[in-house]
Amino acid sequence: MNLADLLIHWKVIVEILILWTVIYQVMLFFEGTRAIQVVRGIALILVAFFLFQKLGLDRLDWLFRNFFATSIIALLIIFHPELRQGLARLGQKNIFVNAMDEEELDKMLKEISRAAESLSGYKIGALIAIEKNDSLCGYVESGVLIDAKVSSELIQAIFTPNNPLHDGGLIIQRGRLISAGALFPLVQRFDIDRIFGTRHRAALGLSEETDAVIIVVSEERQDISLVYQGRLYNNLSHEDLFLKAKELIRIRK
Amino acid sequence: MKKTKFNIIYGITHIFTYHPWLKLISFILAVIVWLYIKEEMFILQ
Repeated sequence: MNLADLLIHWKVIVEILILWTVIYQVMLFFEGTRAIQVVRGIALILVAFFLFQKLGLDRLDWLFRNFFATSIIALLIIFHPELRQGLARLGQKNIFVNAMDEEELDKMLKEISRAAESLSGYKIGALIAIEKNDSLCGYVESGVLIDAKVSSELIQAIFTPNNPLHDGGLIIQRGRLISAGALFPLVQRFDIDRIFGTRHRAALGLSEETDAVIIVVSEERQDISLVYQGRLYNNLSHEDLFLKAKELIRIRK
Repeated sequence: MKKTKFNIIYGITHIFTYHPWLKLISFILAVIVWLYIKEEMFILQ
């Protein structure tokens, strides 16, 4: 079968497109987590395996075939937590971002930026997670339900010390303050600077498991940071926070 | 209020700017996997 025949055969194109989408989504899911190194390794092994077959290197082909079959079991055991999270996330996607008004999003982010600026000025720490495509319902349940309109004053009130809800994270779902005092998973990485405390670790932990946009205000350094997909953008002014948060919320997978 | 419209130019630029290497690598892998399956099916027949 030559290339022209292949192109004419629509089934081939559909099959490759489906395979491409699945492989891309798997790689995208692991991007920003420690499992991406393994995914890259598997990709390299697959390419090598294919080349050995094409070049007729039978001994190497046999070695890879046997090695790969057993290493799959090892990978399933090592990455059991990531795989479990991945399966739990399937079917939890929502269309919040695309359905939200540009004006509503601007208004919400302005309120959050204003609150972050005030809180940092008063040396008060804060942790705010904005839900994107991945559902934060599991984390909502760990906090106290609020369901209120996003306002700078309310955010400041929640994070004021001695308030029963000030410890933990604030979750924003579909443009509303849904839950306060929520517990987020702590990041398992060891390459994080010691200057970052538990709040930043919780933000990074959540960002590795979901695509939420997370805002952190440090009480010691009065620094405003943004965390997304395992990446930390720190030392942001309230204008930078507004623009960066808007850009990250608008990114589609 | 004005609803956000799907921007076709943004959609096209997004394809090339958002993880382009990941897209390229996954495409190469998809072709390799497809060729491998095709060969395996041919052997089985």
